[in-house]
Amino acid sequence: MGELTNHFFSDKSCWLRRIDVRFKMVFLVFLSLVIIKANFSGLLLLFLTQSLVFLASRISLKKTIKDFRFFFFFLMFIFLAQTLSVSGKNLLFQIHLFSLEIHITQEAVATGALVCFRLFLIVVLGYLFISSTLSSEVKMAVTWFLKPVPLIPENRVATMLSLLMRFLPLILQQAGETAAAQRARGVNNRKNPVYRFMKFTIPMLRRTFLRTNDLILAMEARGYSEKRTIKKLSANKLDWLSLVIVIALSLLVMLAQM
Amino acid sequence: MNIIEIHNLVHRFSDGTPGLDGINLTVRKGDFVVIAGANGSGKTTLLKHLNGLLYPDAGTVKVDGFSVKKRPKAARQFVGMVFQDADTQIVGETVYEDVAFGPENLCLPESEIKKRVEAALRSVGLWALRYQRPHLLSGGEKRRLAIAGVLTMKPKVLVFDEPFSNLDYPGIRQVLWQMIRLHKQGHTLIVTTHDLEKVIAHAQRLIIMKDGKLVRDGIPGDLVEELEKFSIRKPYSRGLKGEFISWVN
Ligand SMILES: Nc1ncnc2c1ncn2[C@@H]1O[C@H](COP(=O)(O)OP(=O)(O)OP(=O)(O)O)[C@@H](O)[C@H]1O
Ligand SMILES: [Mg+2]
Repeated sequence: MGELTNHFFSDKSCWLRRIDVRFKMVFLVFLSLVIIKANFSGLLLLFLTQSLVFLASRISLKKTIKDFRFFFFFLMFIFLAQTLSVSGKNLLFQIHLFSLEIHITQEAVATGALVCFRLFLIVVLGYLFISSTLSSEVKMAVTWFLKPVPLIPENRVATMLSLLMRFLPLILQQAGETAAAQRARGVNNRKNPVYRFMKFTIPMLRRTFLRTNDLILAMEARGYSEKRTIKKLSANKLDWLSLVIVIALSLLVMLAQM
Repeated sequence: MNIIEIHNLVHRFSDGTPGLDGINLTVRKGDFVVIAGANGSGKTTLLKHLNGLLYPDAGTVKVDGFSVKKRPKAARQFVGMVFQDADTQIVGETVYEDVAFGPENLCLPESEIKKRVEAALRSVGLWALRYQRPHLLSGGEKRRLAIAGVLTMKPKVLVFDEPFSNLDYPGIRQVLWQMIRLHKQGHTLIVTTHDLEKVIAHAQRLIIMKDGKLVRDGIPGDLVEELEKFSIRKPYSRGLKGEFISWVN
């Protein structure tokens, strides 16, 4: 789990971290929809705002760039695929590759750029979200959103979510340790994948069950049950202010479209 | 007043292994008791009976006058347990959330939880690290986190299972210092270990276990010569008058 949440803030002093998680989830959904609809100038506006938010938050730029390394390759690949596959009228240039003749058109480059721009903005949005939110907060928000939904017992869902959140990292960690221990004893020299699968899965599951058992005992020792204090979420000025800003921004982006 | 009363306790594991065999034990309020014994002698099994993580197959376990089997929830609040493996005890995503886990289970109001968590974290010196992720803490800090998590439930009895395993010298001293402080505040302490050197100076009573039985029960100074017989290392550092030397000063 270490790698999944390494952009975790160690303090609450960042304002992005203090925004109510329910608001952040709404922003995430809303702005993603706006991004999908927006054109180039709208996207530019969104890009500028996101950059501002990023700079004003306390997320480390160096770490972010490191996290995004592979994503840029991915974007490049998508861009290439788009420019090569979309056809258009205005020819930009031609490439002669052996007997192949490839036409690159203006339309193709524009679509490719637009698609990549959108993807990039959505991913940055998501990145800002997970960098400033604990998974337990997401759990609280989900519980809150489920409350008005009939037939779904939101407390039970919350319990299941929090159990999942506790056990997932344990399983991942167990898998990592088992793999490392086996590599240290040269399992890589074995070519048979079935053999390796068996030798990996069985001890990993066994260890996971043992540790899960310990964790259950620890939770039980501290009196865990479904009936417990559930933290109340409360919206404050900052939340409403950010809501207004997000709505204004979306309107601007939509206007830019026309 | 006896805060813990164990009478003829027998426990068998589901595979037939005899875990505990006819344990009789009473602990007075405010005592500092050390239970020593070799690996597999049944120390952890015994402790788990104190807060209803295991139930006796025969005999009774009472804390504060009530039966653990009848009121396990009350027992869990009354007896706080710090486990052998500090890592498996972590249930929260941050230090703060981990400590809040216990009082949340007690269904306390939020303001009370806040107060208790802050007090507990300050008392073990982890308040500055409250937003840290628990898995990133050092061994000594993890152990102190576990102590804080237990303290928020305001237990009267604190049970430490091998509190010094995997700790370096400063880590041991940090944890030991906490234990002494809690004892001074009036808590009853029960500590298991196979390395007596570290706690013996502070214990008022030493119990030795072997193969699921209590084999010795007395004042630490009296039992020292017999320790090696039960595969427990004898503490060697003694002061001029033969007294045990404390690890914290
Ligand atoms: N769930 C179980 N099923 C079967 N046998 C068990 C189980 N748990 C413990 N035992 C056995 O019971 C005996 C006592 O175990 P226990 O964990 O209480 O010892 P311990 O004194 O705490 O040892 P250590 O110093 O290693 O922590 C051991 O022989 C152990 O193998
Ligand atoms: Mg043990």
